Amino acid sequence: MDCDTARGLIHGHLDGELDLIPDLEVDRHVEQCDRCTAEYATIRALQTRLKDQSLYFEAPAELKEKTRRAIHRALPRTQASPSIRRSSARRAIQFGIPMAVAAILALLIVPAAIRPGHNEIVAQEVLASHVRSMMASHLMDVASTDQHTVKPWFNGKLDFSPPVADFAKDGFPLVGGRLDYIDGRAVAALVYQHGKHVINVFMWPAPEAAHSAKIETQQGYNLEQIVFAGMNCWIVSDLNPTELAKFGELLRARG
Amino acid sequence: MPDETTAVDFERTFLPHMDAAYNLARWLVRNDHDAQDVVQDAYLRALRFAGGFRGDNPRAWILAIVRNAAFSWLKSNRGSDPPVLFDENVHEGGAEETGLEADALRKADASMIRGALEELADEFREVIVMRDIEGLSYKEIANAAEVPIGTVMSRLARARTKLAHSVKNRIAKG
Repeated sequence: MDCDTARGLIHGHLDGELDLIPDLEVDRHVEQCDRCTAEYATIRALQTRLKDQSLYFEAPAELKEKTRRAIHRALPRTQASPSIRRSSARRAIQFGIPMAVAAILALLIVPAAIRPGHNEIVAQEVLASHVRSMMASHLMDVASTDQHTVKPWFNGKLDFSPPVADFAKDGFPLVGGRLDYIDGRAVAALVYQHGKHVINVFMWPAPEAAHSAKIETQQGYNLEQIVFAGMNCWIVSDLNPTELAKFGELLRARG
Repeated sequence: MPDETTAVDFERTFLPHMDAAYNLARWLVRNDHDAQDVVQDAYLRALRFAGGFRGDNPRAWILAIVRNAAFSWLKSNRGSDPPVLFDENVHEGGAEETGLEADALRKADASMIRGALEELADEFREVIVMRDIEGLSYKEIANAAEVPIGTVMSRLARARTKLAHSVKNRIAKG
């Protein structure tokens, strides 16, 4: 094995990533080559120093707690784990008959809700996505109030072209867009603002069956689903239902 | 993991790897506040895709998501925080000097190594952290960074060379 080849493979050799034959050949070469011996020693020394505990950042306790809470908030309640239900039943027995009755009732009621409709699941995903976009400062991939900047940005990123309009003169300025992932597919997320409220609009091509507009409230957020211009469209915000419906109207009128 | 992921299953599988997740995020975005955001964002993304997790290495899986969340963050925050430009001619000395580098590395203060690693370009810093600090395999790094294994190997070689030179230069400057 020549020197240049060996030098290229020393890293793989030290990382235990080479097949047996080249691995042995690197070994043999390093033994007889000063340059490669020095290189070998340098990488070894570097690897040793990088294992130093002072270079390792452990997660702050607050982050663990914060993330655990966010996970519980983001998971639909209907997906409570069987083990959680079993232990709550156990506790109920310890706390006497009234609690036990309540627990049994809960066990009877929960399974009925365990298979939510498809729309329910999409609504949960939309909501989780909205909450996530607000929480992790990942609201926008493209920040622009110009619809002619936002719309082309989606080109090549999606297999459809979402209708993008600005409603600044109606009090709902467009502030940007981003890619998101809902219902097993990449979707367009448009971000609008109304006063201090942020509105996320998720869009993807609609299947045949169109749903009529309806607004629901979940965990303090309002969600509206509309179908227009061949797009399945979910609007989510902490805005009140009346204002949200007004925004939905604007969107539909433009489509 | 079954398709109907439960909070308990998810926590049991992925929360034990939060130190690794934070360590990677912290090295990539280089400050605590944003690293925390990135980790939390990554865990919530992971939660949505956890039904598709079939692998046997949850740590590598979550680190891949953290890596991508961190790079999205870097991409959208580039404007305010320009990358440190690396002048290869200054930082990479001749090959004949390599013997001295092993000595320099052994003698260097931890703060010099930390500073040198922090200044490496993103693509080099990430392979060093994933391989030499987190111990991921080339294949796991290739999956996370979405590049071929050969690219991981050559990037790692360049990254280590740059890092060693940079530590040596720091010592020379005092």
